[in-house]
Amino acid sequence: MIRTESIHIPFTYAAGGTSSIFLAALRDEARILATPCPACDTVICPARSSCPACGGPTATPVDVGPAGTLVSWTELADGTTLALVRLDGADTSLVHRLAGGDGTWVAGQRLRARFGESRTGAITDIVGFESENGAGR
Amino acid sequence: MSTPDLAPLGVAGVGRSGPRISDPRSIPEIVLEAVESALADATCGYDDVDAVVTASVDLFDGLTASNIAVTEVVGAVMRPETRIAGDGLLAAIHAACQLWAGAYETVLVVAHSKPSMAPADLTPWAMDPIHLQPLGASFTACAGLQARVLTLDDPDAEGRWAERAARLSTLAGRPTSPAEVSASSVVASPLRERMRAPLADGAYAAVLSRGEASVLLRGAGHDLCAHSPGDRDLRHWDGLTRAAGRAYAVAGIDDPADAFGCVEPACLYPHEEDLFTAATGTGPDTPVSPTGGLFGGAVPVGAGLSRLVEATRALRAEPSLRRVLAHGTWGPAGQGQALTILEAA
Ligand SMILES: [Zn+2]
Repeated sequence: MIRTESIHIPFTYAAGGTSSIFLAALRDEARILATPCPACDTVICPARSSCPACGGPTATPVDVGPAGTLVSWTELADGTTLALVRLDGADTSLVHRLAGGDGTWVAGQRLRARFGESRTGAITDIVGFESENGAGR
Repeated sequence: MSTPDLAPLGVAGVGRSGPRISDPRSIPEIVLEAVESALADATCGYDDVDAVVTASVDLFDGLTASNIAVTEVVGAVMRPETRIAGDGLLAAIHAACQLWAGAYETVLVVAHSKPSMAPADLTPWAMDPIHLQPLGASFTACAGLQARVLTLDDPDAEGRWAERAARLSTLAGRPTSPAEVSASSVVASPLRERMRAPLADGAYAAVLSRGEASVLLRGAGHDLCAHSPGDRDLRHWDGLTRAAGRAYAVAGIDDPADAFGCVEPACLYPHEEDLFTAATGTGPDTPVSPTGGLFGGAVPVGAGLSRLVEATRALRAEPSLRRVLAHGTWGPAGQGQALTILEAA
């Protein structure tokens, strides 16, 4: 015998102080923030309260991007392409989507963030990253 | 950090249930079969077990507190149970630490999951809910990002991975050609459907003890990396290198290239074998996954413990293998890593 259930559990996820500053900058100013780690001299994007490398507290957020280079990408079964983008001024990669182009991507190619028109304070306020030279590469 | 002087532990018994692609039985029934076979293999009973370490993950079981379904069948009623929400090899290492600490003489380790109960991919719910989950990131997507990085300086990688996936599938009893692998649909480019070990239901159990046994647990190590693949150098499994360093120090292994009769990595995709080999320093002549590894059925949470069970069976059947590495990993793109060294007594 099989019993069928569908679990629907609404959640509220707190972004936390520094990540809220990061999300508000996306929403209100279309800026991308990163946080320097004074201990290991790494600029971490997206901005967070602690360093993923050494665990230490980070300093005041700084601007990075909105342009950067393509580090990795993967085309998924649903047709979206997820990517790692190293934004100018950052030492870690932002996970995001690739947008536009003809699906031909090359490591190291220059990209630029495209922001949405109506933004809500979410990572998806950036629609995706597209080739800095317009469509395609 | 000094290396602790730890006596070898005995792998007194191992057991399993499955892997089966879709097991119609209940989770307690699946787990009970694995436990009973491990206890029988160790020629002991529930009364001989001092403590139990279980590994299970709520999301896979559709329960908040996935161990409530198995407490009775693992014999943990009125007995100490520790539950690990991670790979089963981590549960084995936790049990080993309990034994090394002198807290118990005999500990039962059990890991299970039944992915056929749930939608195909639950892993988006295991990703950072602020920065990653809203983008559609999953363990599969992260594996694709990692595999892509490996192709950038290695144009032959995809062909090699297709051959490897075909070889592992065939060894596991599912004859497959490299062409079939390369023609299968893309799940996360450059990874294809037939490059992924098939998910399966199952349970694995091991009885570890401070007594004598024909197979010994000689060393163990585990490690974690940062969660986001963007925070890591995906060209390497650095966490596994650190885990291996700890395990080798405990076991007194100076030259891993020549130390193992075979290795049993818990690789869901063929590119992970490249990462495993580089991180552990095992030599090119060391046989890898001689029975097909996880391509015989990858049980989430159980995968690492399944490698310990396989390594134990291999060493019993062929003591001349001397030493076998058993590996477990969990999280996106190998975030968590665990390694154990098994040795013929
Ligand atoms: Zn730091």
